Amino acid sequence: MREHRTEYLELCAGYVVGSLDRADREALEAHLAEGCAICEGEIRHLSGAATLLAVQSPASKAPAALKAKVMAAVEADAKAFRPERVGPPLRLEPPLAKRRPSYATWGLAIAAALIAVVGVIEWRANQELKKQLANTQASLDQLRKSSEEERSWAEVPMAPLAVALDLSPTPDAPGKIAARITYDPVSRRAVVVCTNFTPPSGHDYELWAIRDTGPSSLGVIHADTGGRSVVRLPDAGSPGGLAGFAVSLENQGGAPTPTSPAGPVVMLGKLRG
Amino acid sequence: MNQPDRDRSALERMVAGDTRALEEIYDRHGDLLYSLVRRILSRAEDAEDVIQEIWLQAWRGARTYDPRRGTVCGWLVSMARSRAIDRLRSEGSRKRATDASGVDAPDPPESPAESAVDRQRREHVDLAMSQLDPQHREVLELAYFAGLSQSEISERLGAPLGTVKSWTRQALSRLEKLVPREEWL
Repeated sequence: MREHRTEYLELCAGYVVGSLDRADREALEAHLAEGCAICEGEIRHLSGAATLLAVQSPASKAPAALKAKVMAAVEADAKAFRPERVGPPLRLEPPLAKRRPSYATWGLAIAAALIAVVGVIEWRANQELKKQLANTQASLDQLRKSSEEERSWAEVPMAPLAVALDLSPTPDAPGKIAARITYDPVSRRAVVVCTNFTPPSGHDYELWAIRDTGPSSLGVIHADTGGRSVVRLPDAGSPGGLAGFAVSLENQGGAPTPTSPAGPVVMLGKLRG
Repeated sequence: MNQPDRDRSALERMVAGDTRALEEIYDRHGDLLYSLVRRILSRAEDAEDVIQEIWLQAWRGARTYDPRRGTVCGWLVSMARSRAIDRLRSEGSRKRATDASGVDAPDPPESPAESAVDRQRREHVDLAMSQLDPQHREVLELAYFAGLSQSEISERLGAPLGTVKSWTRQALSRLEKLVPREEWL
């Protein structure tokens, strides 16, 4: 645990109202990450007061239509993650009819044969049921895994220090291309949403991280037929050395070297400076 | 069960996939979040976009809520403020909102939809804010509603950066003491 210093206490207030400058914020985050019960307590303590500031806003009634839009979006999202939407519904075989052999009229041998037949049928039904259950379990495991992954990425914009950055088109940008990057400096993950990213024939758009050491390719952007693409970057780089992002227009396949765009830079966004 | 407990109970149901639980929380705090976002963003359509993003993120990220960091309402308010400031910055319309957040801003119009409880809370907070030193109040408003960093506030007010840091802490600590605990969100 890092030693507590009084100077950090002063930073806690700026932290909860979101006004710390980058260097102070990173210093406090590093301090908190190593564990400091005093500063954690201060943040919890002051957060309640910071929330009260919201009450200072002039009271406005949210439009009823807005609630309807919110609920429609949430319902749609809930349906998208509902298991039955993805895999086939589980169908169990109907239960076998109970059979009551009449021991009074049937001989012992026939009864034994019947029991054997019923046993085989039940065994087969049991095997089939086990197979279906195994398949269903595998589908559910796959669904759970993909759902977890989706939710994990959905958490990136909600990370406490996440930054949303709209890239600005340069004079070389063709058409109405647009891109928004959400970058979480703690996990270093980023999500890039691109629209109108249909490149001219024989070309590709390439995404770049602008680091203190120079540009670094984050890969070619492959958009769908509508020009839309969502790029997920598990590691966009350390916040200390990351100054921004850029998009260049390259010959098909991307720039020859991963450290320098060969074509014109068409979009640019700076995280600092 | 008090409001924070009801919110936490509803949030647990949200995690389990109950959309009605989100609606319940929306009904309790939707107007507050909308009012906050409207104060930061002057255009109603921007505010509505941001509000939709916030609630969808709250739905998807309900399990990321950490009760050790504050109440559910505080979590939502923090998310709303952060999103609105992001939008403000991306639009480059900070000046417009900064001007609107000045200490000389006109008194907010009273909303007929505001409940008696909300009105009482607002009165307590207004009274507490009026009891802060003017520079303390301004530091809070510039940070919280206009999204200015401490160095930007320092430059704007012509005060040393260290002083701005001290004012921020003193202002929040004083506000925390002035507003009765039962009025906290």
